[in-house]
Amino acid sequence: MARAAAPRTFRDAQATYRTNGELAWWVFMRVSGFLLVFLTFGHLWANNMAFNAGQIDFDYVASRLAQPSVKVYDSFLLLFALLHGVNGLRYSIEDYIQRPQRRVAAKVALFTVAGIVFVLGVMALWTFSFSEMGDAVRALNE
Amino acid sequence: MYRGREGQWAFVLHRMSGVALALFLLLHVIDISLVMWGPDGPFNAFLAFYHQWPFRVGLVVVIAGVVYHALNGLRIIMMDFTTWGVKYQAPLWYGVLGLTTLIGIPVLWKIVPEILGIA
Repeated sequence: MARAAAPRTFRDAQATYRTNGELAWWVFMRVSGFLLVFLTFGHLWANNMAFNAGQIDFDYVASRLAQPSVKVYDSFLLLFALLHGVNGLRYSIEDYIQRPQRRVAAKVALFTVAGIVFVLGVMALWTFSFSEMGDAVRALNE
Repeated sequence: MYRGREGQWAFVLHRMSGVALALFLLLHVIDISLVMWGPDGPFNAFLAFYHQWPFRVGLVVVIAGVVYHALNGLRIIMMDFTTWGVKYQAPLWYGVLGLTTLIGIPVLWKIVPEILGIA
């Protein structure tokens, strides 16, 4: 199915997309995109401007992920960025991969990888306890 | 040959930066999740690999992509949800390019000396 010209306004989107699912994704891309402007800029500020990214190591990451506020912040970032990014890749697959079999294969591969990455990210954020951080973090907190 | 006008270039850059950022995100979550293997795990060796200058230059490109994609995304939101956004989409796009460049100056000022090892 060839995609028609991209809808320009909310009313266009309502008229273009026959299913509410696509309309919901259209709205989601704008809402999550707006939130991600602030989430990603804050993330980049903390790790690239307020710190020398070339010196990021285990101690630095562990000391950040030890803070509940960072865990919560990064969880929202992970969730919104992954959904926004994977849905964007899905749009690209639907735009550029024409053959149905290849299109399905590309989507299956994408969603599988995204699922694994989401689980890895959640694990890194929430299963990472102080006791596992080693001497480096304890030294930082003394 | 049709070379496109502002709107088309805005779309092409948005699509390219979006795909690149999504792929970077997948890789980024995987490499940061290596912290789970602890201070003696593979994390520090992996990060040391990424601290080589070609990857640090790559990170600057990623930051530029984030800033462009974010600002152009705000332009798209304006086009979709205001009565005047579509009318002013071309000047808004030049605003996006200008603001991306403007934000890029302090970023380069901070990061280039770090890469050169003179910070």
